[in-house]
Amino acid sequence: MITKIGREKLQEFVAGLMKSGRLFAPVKEGKGTNFKLITDPQSVTLDFYNTIQSPKAVLFPQSEDLVNYNISHDGIASEPAPIDDGSRIILGVRPCDVQSFEIMDRLFNGSGIVDPYWSARRSNLTIIAYAFDRADPVDFYNAFGITGSDEQGSDILMVRDTNSFLFKAFTDKGTKLLETMPFLEKGTADDEKRMTEIVDKGRDIATRTLDTAEIHKRLAGIFDSPYWEEAAAACLNCGVCTYVCPTCHCFDIQDETLFGEGSRRKIWDSCMFSDFTLHASGHNPRTKKSQRLRQRINHKFSYYVENFGIISCVGCGRCTRSCPVNIDILTVVEEAR
Amino acid sequence: MIQIEKRLREEAKRLLETKEAAVVLAFGRGFDEEHPMPLILRKPSDAEKIVFNEYCTFNMARHLTEFPPGTKIAVAVKAADSRAVTVLIQEGKVKREDLIILGIPVAGMKDFRSGTAIDATTTGPAVNPVLYDILLADLLPEPKDVSPYDVLAEIEAMSPDDRWGFWSAEFSRCIRCYACRKACPLCYCETCFVDQAKPRWSEKSPSASSNMMFHLTRFYHLAGRCIDCGSCSRACPMDIPLYLFHKKVSKECEEMFDQAAGMCVDAKPVMVDFKVEDSDDILL
Repeated sequence: MITKIGREKLQEFVAGLMKSGRLFAPVKEGKGTNFKLITDPQSVTLDFYNTIQSPKAVLFPQSEDLVNYNISHDGIASEPAPIDDGSRIILGVRPCDVQSFEIMDRLFNGSGIVDPYWSARRSNLTIIAYAFDRADPVDFYNAFGITGSDEQGSDILMVRDTNSFLFKAFTDKGTKLLETMPFLEKGTADDEKRMTEIVDKGRDIATRTLDTAEIHKRLAGIFDSPYWEEAAAACLNCGVCTYVCPTCHCFDIQDETLFGEGSRRKIWDSCMFSDFTLHASGHNPRTKKSQRLRQRINHKFSYYVENFGIISCVGCGRCTRSCPVNIDILTVVEEAR
Repeated sequence: MIQIEKRLREEAKRLLETKEAAVVLAFGRGFDEEHPMPLILRKPSDAEKIVFNEYCTFNMARHLTEFPPGTKIAVAVKAADSRAVTVLIQEGKVKREDLIILGIPVAGMKDFRSGTAIDATTTGPAVNPVLYDILLADLLPEPKDVSPYDVLAEIEAMSPDDRWGFWSAEFSRCIRCYACRKACPLCYCETCFVDQAKPRWSEKSPSASSNMMFHLTRFYHLAGRCIDCGSCSRACPMDIPLYLFHKKVSKECEEMFDQAAGMCVDAKPVMVDFKVEDSDDILL
């Protein structure tokens, strides 16, 4: 069944979602948009191509308390920080980004060592996917069998029509959520037709693509190639690519203390940074930027494939779009021969 | 710009062929025309890969400190970039005699991310390099009556509380990717203070206080040194207007010490010079 709402009633819909759980949705920020916890329905925008940062922070925040402690002359008192696992809804996730959750699940949920922070939130998450209606020259999600309007992995698929948004639920959770929105109109036969047309159009969006066959073996074979020096020549070793990426998941654990009060925190880290591999001895096995770029590409296209059977990239194009020197991950992988 | 591209290719080829330079720092093609990349050339045959168009905004002085001392480097510079080279020479990071500076007088550059024109609001207004060995085009008339500091009027008019609010809000968006620092030609510290683990000067979490700490320290470390190229702001994925703060510090420095950074290679930079008559307004 299709439901719909006029574009002018978007705020009403957003307010409705806010009653069902904590809502994360795209909000204008700088010249772009980003997923934010919504406190004001008016702040949500659905006029965007894709967000600057991926939605991963909804489940995997940049910084999160693991243990809270107090250090005093009497000793150290500590207790585990409660896991913030309340129900979450994400509105407006592009189909390629929806796939990133499935990829991260294999590590955080399915690798034998369950990450309780990710898992608790993941099982309480409702995803409202939002079909693309145009292509961007940088994206390459087609390379991973993803199309612009896939519903896989989402609870509800939303599409944008001329004057309205149309919704179709694909899970019980999605169906129930839509049922709690009495102001949603029931779609007519025409709306059903429109939804099918828009979804078909989304499936036909052609992005750049990549031959992914045996890619992990190909990369393993050129580990020592001088190619990496060439590919990384322009790289600044900033961490933008990793911090906008939907599947980069490396983190550091740091104790951050102020006047005896502190927390042991799980904080995003980046393989692009010089201190990422710095040993306590002072030795650093990865001192060159070529080694760092090689690591990032190999982790996504080789090691992750060997460990979890899937490429850890969804072709969202964020790293290419945000790179200050225009390094394009697709080109780097293509030319790695 | 096509002429500049042609001249840049010719010079790069010649300098590498004659071995006058071991490395040429120029611009190459990225994934499309509007997204060029920094290009580091070592073979004369690679000179064909050079491109030059309005999106070649990179400050190639950024890459100068990546090579071992003594490497003969030819570097393509636009107006602000040449000031960065000047500061690097003044600070002893590169030697004048190791450099062949290819000067590019050019106006009308554009931000490759937004497509918008780059003007005196986000960088210096000058169009001609201040230091060069080979000029790749005729010098252009410098824009008159344009100050790099005009853009500060609005923020200077704010009350201290409003200004604090403005910067707190801007820095709250910072994700600590350090693109600003890494795009900066003068942020060449081998280990930045935020990366030090013993002691840790700044939290790794992007909290309000640690973001403020990082940016303020970086701004002040660039006081009297920033050459207003705008690279930091263009690199920022979150569109934080870092150039505003840098411009304000540069303006105060210029007013107090009568010297803009990187304009004259023989001058002593303000932060390493002392004169009895120096302004003491800086002392609270």
